[in-house]
Amino acid sequence: MPDSLLLGLALLSTLCAMGWLALGMNVHWQQVYGDVASSARTVRIVRVLGACALAVSMLLCLSSDHASIASLVWVMSLAASVFFVAFLLSWRPRWLAWLVPWART
Amino acid sequence: MLQQVATVITHHQQRLSIGSRVLAGLLGSYVFAWGFVTLVVALGLTQGADYDEMLTLAYLLAFLVYLCAFLWAFAAASLARVWLVLAGGGVAMSGVARWLTSLLA
Amino acid sequence: MLSSFRLSMTWVHTWFGLVLGYVLMVCFFFGALSVFDREIDRWAIPETRYEPQPMPSFDAMLQPIFRSIEPDPQSYDYAQDEVHGPLPPRESLAMSDVGAYTTHRDPVLDMYVSFDVPNKPKDANLDHVHVFGYATIDPRSGTVISNDKLKIGSEFFYPLHYSLHLYWKNLGYWLVGMAALTMLAALVTGVVMHRKLLRELFTFRPRKQMRSVLDLHNLTGVAALPFHFFFAFTGLVIFAGIYFPVTNSMFKPQAEAHEKVEELRTGLPHDPAHVAAPLASVDAMVAEAQRRWGERGMPGEVGFLGITHLGDANGYVSVYRAGTDRVTLTGQGIHFRASTGEVIREDPQPSAVAGINDWLTGLHLQHFRHWLLRWLYVLGGLAGCACIATGFIFFVEKRKRQHAKAGVSGARWADAMGVTAVTGMLIATGTILVANQLLPGDLPQRGDWEGRIFWLAWLMALAHAFWRSAPVAEGRLSPAWREQSWVVALLCTAAPVLNWLTTGDHLLKTIAAGYWPVAGFDLALLVVAAVAAYAARRLRRAELALVATAKPRRESLEAAHA
Repeated sequence: MPDSLLLGLALLSTLCAMGWLALGMNVHWQQVYGDVASSARTVRIVRVLGACALAVSMLLCLSSDHASIASLVWVMSLAASVFFVAFLLSWRPRWLAWLVPWART
Repeated sequence: MLQQVATVITHHQQRLSIGSRVLAGLLGSYVFAWGFVTLVVALGLTQGADYDEMLTLAYLLAFLVYLCAFLWAFAAASLARVWLVLAGGGVAMSGVARWLTSLLA
Repeated sequence: MLSSFRLSMTWVHTWFGLVLGYVLMVCFFFGALSVFDREIDRWAIPETRYEPQPMPSFDAMLQPIFRSIEPDPQSYDYAQDEVHGPLPPRESLAMSDVGAYTTHRDPVLDMYVSFDVPNKPKDANLDHVHVFGYATIDPRSGTVISNDKLKIGSEFFYPLHYSLHLYWKNLGYWLVGMAALTMLAALVTGVVMHRKLLRELFTFRPRKQMRSVLDLHNLTGVAALPFHFFFAFTGLVIFAGIYFPVTNSMFKPQAEAHEKVEELRTGLPHDPAHVAAPLASVDAMVAEAQRRWGERGMPGEVGFLGITHLGDANGYVSVYRAGTDRVTLTGQGIHFRASTGEVIREDPQPSAVAGINDWLTGLHLQHFRHWLLRWLYVLGGLAGCACIATGFIFFVEKRKRQHAKAGVSGARWADAMGVTAVTGMLIATGTILVANQLLPGDLPQRGDWEGRIFWLAWLMALAHAFWRSAPVAEGRLSPAWREQSWVVALLCTAAPVLNWLTTGDHLLKTIAAGYWPVAGFDLALLVVAAVAAYAARRLRRAELALVATAKPRRESLEAAHA
């Protein structure tokens, strides 16, 4: 697989990870779903998904580059993803609903 | 009238006190960090380590030491203690380093 | 200092952040631009707009060019000040060391020569003083590019971010160092102040004035916190020798002894033998170096080629690998005896401490080839700028109403400085780029003129900012923000248009050809112009809104007094 595709997937993975971790927080869940609180089960699921996605992203980075570079790419992708999710929550919160398709509105 | 004079005097005292604190933070920490660098190098040299190696190690740690000293200068309650520990400690470490290197020669 | 730990840390964050923030802004912004400094060089010097080349043949191309390099007049004058007695005439100075340097992003090759100066230095700490000569060439043909053509990226923006172009007594380095320390302190104190760090990681509430500014300040600070910390920290480590010059003070004998030990251990002579010797084929040495790197499983191109003690029996040739695939700096050096071509030494793996240092400095200096990481670095740098800028804005917003009521003008001056540091800086940047396109191509010392225009533009922006800042003293917005944003939009539109008019390299052409150094920079300029224009329009609405809210209050006051 070409490096650019691997890195693209890594970025996407980090993005989803941050989205899930944000949804694990009640205040952001409510931005997406209104005043309905999420269940404890859902919170656990999204946190696990978030952690897994971060790990997947790290592996994808490592498969693309030397470890000394991959670690930097991964850390910076965290920053980019936090920005993206934060702005998404402010302007298009409904888009994050795609990350939890099993949750009812 | 006496009250006004008193206010002016305490205002100046405040300014001096803040100024001294800033000086202690910037200069005192610098003296402390300098002492730290010389001590690390001198200790290393007495253990037979390579000069460049020890200098690199000292430099890597120096700015973290400086940062801690700097923040402590503002967190500490007693300004006198700050000057004593930072400037005094720095000079002491430097002195020990000088003594150690004289043993080597 | 104050009644609680948190209050003291808040004080440090606020006041050191404000004062050093103006310097830090320069470091972060021009640092972000420096990620693509070589690309900006291509934009600024149109005759270098071709693809990067590998290191050319030393024997066939570089050697005659090295012989023709003359000592730089400025370097000569500088050296004269550093020594006792008059220097020998410039043309008679003998070459001692030469070097050639290229990267995977540089179409051009940088060459330098160091000339021996027999005079005794005034500074007892120095062994000798050198005079330097420089040349930049097109490696395809050996054509020399005039030194009058300023590499706006690598020779203006890049040094600006670490030295502020203030070289007197290293003052610029010290200011930048203080700013870097302030960044580290601001990050730590910021974490102390911002108790809900993780809980509010994704929090950004727009359209709420001060709350939004603070949210953005926290977001840009926390999300890229590792970046901000590491860049400030590694910047300090890189110049540690300037900040803690222990070698020349306390440890001079130990350092000298170490050098002698090094000389014996590595076999690389520190001093020339003063016996003439011929130079063997350097191309053969380069080929051997590349063969050895290949054998070690790290094949690569030559990043740096240097000859020490040229023409001397003690002369040696050093060939370093361009470290494009990893973070640590150019390394894996292989050293050859200059007269015979035999290998004296292959640099071994660095020790743990040296390895950590190389990784840290390498992550800052970015010799690696990785476009995604570079763009993420730019994002981090701009996030740092946004963090500082929102910090200024929050400081002023929080205080300007109180100051207006009290008749104090502190907030006004802070705001004017803020305009200067943000939009003023952008105006200066836009102006040097426009000047680069407009100045005559063969103007002598063209680069010096471009530099002067940069500083003049910034000075004018400062004057304008202070002149227009009166409304802040009444608790309103300074129109300088909006007015300067329009100027930024204008300059950043003019620059790519002028690029098209003067060089013919318009966006359709450069994108179609895939020449991203120029296309990318033109596009970036247009994006900045668009953002500046949008900001200017939003600021106009904000200004009018503030005036509208102020009016009813005044009317009701008048009604109350009637």
